[in-house]
Amino acid sequence: MVTHPGSARTARAARRLNAQRLNTPRPALVESHADGTPRQVNRQTVGTVREEWRVVDRWWTDEPVHRRYFDLVLETGENTVVYHDDDAGTWFTQRA
Amino acid sequence: MIASVVIPAFDLRAALRHRPRLQGLPAALAPLPGKEPLVGSVTGAAEAKGVRPGMRLGEALAMCPELELVEQDPATVEQAWEEILRRLEDAGFAVEPAEPGLVYFDSKGVERLYGGLEPALKRALAAVGTVWDPRAGAAERRFAALAAANVARPGQALIVSDDRARSFIAPLPLQLLPLERRRYEELEELGVKTIGQLAGLPGSAVAERLGPDGRRAWGLARGEEQGKVAPRRPATSIHETLEFPEAVGNELTLRRGLAVLLEKLLSRPERAGRPPRKVALWARLVGGASWRRTVTLREPTADPARLRAALAPKLAELPAPALKLRLEVVELAEHTGEQLELIAAEGEMLQGRLREGLRQVKAAVGAGGVSTVVEVAPWSRIPEARALLVPRDD
Repeated sequence: MVTHPGSARTARAARRLNAQRLNTPRPALVESHADGTPRQVNRQTVGTVREEWRVVDRWWTDEPVHRRYFDLVLETGENTVVYHDDDAGTWFTQRA
Repeated sequence: MIASVVIPAFDLRAALRHRPRLQGLPAALAPLPGKEPLVGSVTGAAEAKGVRPGMRLGEALAMCPELELVEQDPATVEQAWEEILRRLEDAGFAVEPAEPGLVYFDSKGVERLYGGLEPALKRALAAVGTVWDPRAGAAERRFAALAAANVARPGQALIVSDDRARSFIAPLPLQLLPLERRRYEELEELGVKTIGQLAGLPGSAVAERLGPDGRRAWGLARGEEQGKVAPRRPATSIHETLEFPEAVGNELTLRRGLAVLLEKLLSRPERAGRPPRKVALWARLVGGASWRRTVTLREPTADPARLRAALAPKLAELPAPALKLRLEVVELAEHTGEQLELIAAEGEMLQGRLREGLRQVKAAVGAGGVSTVVEVAPWSRIPEARALLVPRDD
């Protein structure tokens, strides 16, 4: 099986350097509308969806990536980026 | 291979060093004043009566009314731990202390010295001393080494090869994983009681239910961790002690005592002109308890007035009158002086100052406190694949 050169390199480098990945996704508690757009993130209501995009990558490996990202402004005024992992069916927050 | 040496209930054993009578009786470490009333480590006799570490004090006393509560003694714990680390270092082990009672080292260098892994582990156990009942474990990964040391009997060294590491840790209880107490309870309520059962769950479900700590514990359970051993730099041993003829609670007298200690400490020849970077103030209190505060200076200095200004306010935090006061140099700077600049520093000099600044930050926050961002795949569409955070230990 062919792996993604970037991911394999990152994992190898992390092991060699005793390092940790930067900007790893953190699980988020998200309630969504019927169309999949977030309604609440970590119990904060979403004000605006600024942008939405998809990342489909590493589909040729054992660990494919299918993510639907949302750049949001919460009603508290905070900016946040969340994504839905289509394979695991769970939500995460991450700086994109 | 990575080796670990474990001394169970080290804090209690150290606190009982001066009260050996209690070692065979049901005893437990008392909770700290102002903290949640949970008992700390317990003796074997207390465990036999059903008292467990982390149990509520009321519950523990109801279960074992004759339970003796031992006051926490952080200074003795630290002193005893330092003595053990030094004995290990004297025997040639480059140790990385994780917490009092748990130390890691890489066996690569010492295997040749002692003629194999098992003799090296035996030597490490002998260096710690049989009085502490140490156990040793070795494996390719840190967590497997820790699990092996926890399973070993007192004085035993257990070696786990990489191919059977997963099957070795699978039946072990969850308590070996670094999780909060309520997380263990939550998992046990779900029927997950062993490390192998946790490893069999889907990672995303564990992350969603237990958060980042749970995901990390899941990774450890599956043998995904690749931590290396980062040995400590052997500590400098310069200290001065002042014994009072009777207990002193008056801050003015304590400050005068501190001034005398500072003067004696700064005149010690071992310092070789180097200014202290990190110092510790220790006191033996009335009633046998101890007290310790560590101060990392904003910049290394040997100026008594500045050292007094940094340390004297700590004396007001003494919870009881002191019988003994000790001042220790925890870390010294490497330079002996600094010339004020006429023109802006650049090149080697600038690099030198940056290194010195990093060492100062490390002294304040500990190993792993300084890291560099290294870009590995900046073009990647997956944000977490773009860069790594690499600890700087140079």
